[in-house]
Amino acid sequence: MQRRQAGWIALFLLPTVALFLTIYAVPLGMTLFTSLFDYRLFPSRMEFVGLANYVQLFARDAQFHRALVSNLIWIVLHTTVHIAIGTILALILYKKPRGWKAVRVIYMIPSIISNAAVAMIFVNIYNPSYGVINSFLKSVGLAGMQRNWLYDPATSFISITIIWTLFSGYNTTLILSQALSLDDSVIEAAKVDGASRLQQDFLIVLPLVKHMLATTMIMAATYMLQMFDLIYLTTRGGPGVTTTNLPLMLYKTAMTENNYGYANTMGVVVIALGVLCMTLINKLLNTRED
Amino acid sequence: MKKVLSLLLTAVMLLAAVPALAEITLDYPTFQVGVNTAAPVIAQLVEEFNAQHAGQIAIKVEEIPGDANYIEKIKVLLASNDLPPVIYGAGYNLLDLALAKELLVDLTEYVDTDPEWKALYNDKAFEVNSRDGKVYGSSSEGNTIGYFYNKELFEKAGLAGPAKTWEEFFAQLDTLKAAGITPVSMDTADSAWVTSLWMGAMIATSGEEGKAFMAQMMPDNYNTPEVIAALTNIQKMFMEYTTLDAVGGKYENAANAFLSGQTAMIANGPWMIGDFSDTTKAPEGFSDKVGVAIYPEGFAYDEPIQGYLVTKQDDPAVVEAAVEMVKFFTGAHAQTVALEKQGMLPASTAVEITQAAKDNFPLLAEFVEALEGARIRTATTQATMYPNLLDIMSAELPNLANGSMTPEQFAQALTDGAAKNK
Repeated sequence: MQRRQAGWIALFLLPTVALFLTIYAVPLGMTLFTSLFDYRLFPSRMEFVGLANYVQLFARDAQFHRALVSNLIWIVLHTTVHIAIGTILALILYKKPRGWKAVRVIYMIPSIISNAAVAMIFVNIYNPSYGVINSFLKSVGLAGMQRNWLYDPATSFISITIIWTLFSGYNTTLILSQALSLDDSVIEAAKVDGASRLQQDFLIVLPLVKHMLATTMIMAATYMLQMFDLIYLTTRGGPGVTTTNLPLMLYKTAMTENNYGYANTMGVVVIALGVLCMTLINKLLNTRED
Repeated sequence: MKKVLSLLLTAVMLLAAVPALAEITLDYPTFQVGVNTAAPVIAQLVEEFNAQHAGQIAIKVEEIPGDANYIEKIKVLLASNDLPPVIYGAGYNLLDLALAKELLVDLTEYVDTDPEWKALYNDKAFEVNSRDGKVYGSSSEGNTIGYFYNKELFEKAGLAGPAKTWEEFFAQLDTLKAAGITPVSMDTADSAWVTSLWMGAMIATSGEEGKAFMAQMMPDNYNTPEVIAALTNIQKMFMEYTTLDAVGGKYENAANAFLSGQTAMIANGPWMIGDFSDTTKAPEGFSDKVGVAIYPEGFAYDEPIQGYLVTKQDDPAVVEAAVEMVKFFTGAHAQTVALEKQGMLPASTAVEITQAAKDNFPLLAEFVEALEGARIRTATTQATMYPNLLDIMSAELPNLANGSMTPEQFAQALTDGAAKNK
């Protein structure tokens, strides 16, 4: 009977497994495989080079080092500052102050606008000639502070970072929903014990929503490892490589330099980085032990 | 009765589907849509072609705004061997990329067996569209380029007319700036088209070496005195003589600055002439304020660019349909439509500059006259450089513009980029 059940289970799982292998496992295998080759499409070339691509990437490619550092900084900022903004707002809203539902919806709006639209909005906000920021600075007598925010090497990185850091609507919604589902008796007990509001939030509620926090942090880290459209539509990674991250560099290496083997090497690094981030976050928040 | 009706209905539906099945649809991605100056021309040609071939061939346009986006899309399709039946070279050297993958149809026999079509090819058009004696493309657009200037702003600054030398040109920039006028439109994003025109003009007129550099297909060394000198001037132009949003700006920003009267000069071809009288883009009467000139030292860009290419398809009928489309889009009628609607000089010297074109675009006649004074003529840098260098130009020009990169470093970046193609 059990063997028959196992057979049926295997049969019903087969389509999912086939789909997973086709869409994920096979391309992943091909990426790993072709990263060991000098692989180009025009003219067609496929020469085995072993680990030469990895050596070039880590030992000699200064642009890759810069993109890697930028990506790591963005991952750290996104998993800390971005999550912190969302968490703090969630901790304020879960107490249901007046208008909390409206705030929850309004703060969510930027997160549901497509990245392409957000990019266009900020390109115009940051425009040095007619953008809102420079126009405001000029109107208050601070014309000397006007900048080409997206294309000045001193300001481009932070300008790009602001675009995605401030709007943490998804995280607020997720953490808030977890906080609202907590048993009220825990909070009541803490109040009876004399815990202040701040102590309740950080010593009671926060540990109890730890799993959701870990989830949002993992999502934030993987989001930064995939980030492409916002950068492509604003600075295209410039000036130079100031705002280039790994996905954009991978794209340029493949599409403009026709070097698919080298691009796939970067792809392997991105995958490894993703696994490392997830492992670190889980360990940091001890979610596995729970 | 119900059965009979159902059968009749099915038969009618099948019969209706037969012509649709026989009709060949040519998917045609193009950037010549929206605000692109060629958009009305392409729209008319597509409509006329579809009407002429109704029931047999239908062109289905896929809009890809921005020529840089179009080139990237084509490269992606090229990588997956999934090119559309017809692609437009647009002067970005897609021919060699597609040929390297053996994805182009040899048009030699088609051209040889059509005397009318063959007569439209001049020697230069054959040269840019051929490799090893085989014809792969057909041009429709002449690539004759100078620059436009705002006569009213020139007058306000006390300038008589276009500069004859580069020394005079830079003196004019100072004069315009002193009069409170932003001298030139420039750009860095996408392919940095406007900027590259100024740069190429300076290189071409620097001497025999410069002219030879501009004539070279896919140069791999940019560390030459003439290139570095040109880049030094470009850096100065960015720092002192252009709009704030030129750095990071696209062609549209540069064009808008000129069309709104903010800047006094813009480098571009006669296809822009139509914009001057388009009230959705420029103020009423703007076209009367615009003059046209060739570059200092008697230089003009004047070489046909790679035109339409036909790609190999599984179905031979699709290839035949694609050839018909290319013939139509590069024929005398199409070149005349572009001339009269857009002010685009034809690729073929056999196509007459019609009176209607001269009446619609007096500036065009002025440009043709000015062109007679051009003693140095070359192709644009974008038509001859490795495609990946467009991305490097776009990425590094902001650094050159703000001084964090020297002209020598910029030239080295281009040289390093060219080396990646080996």
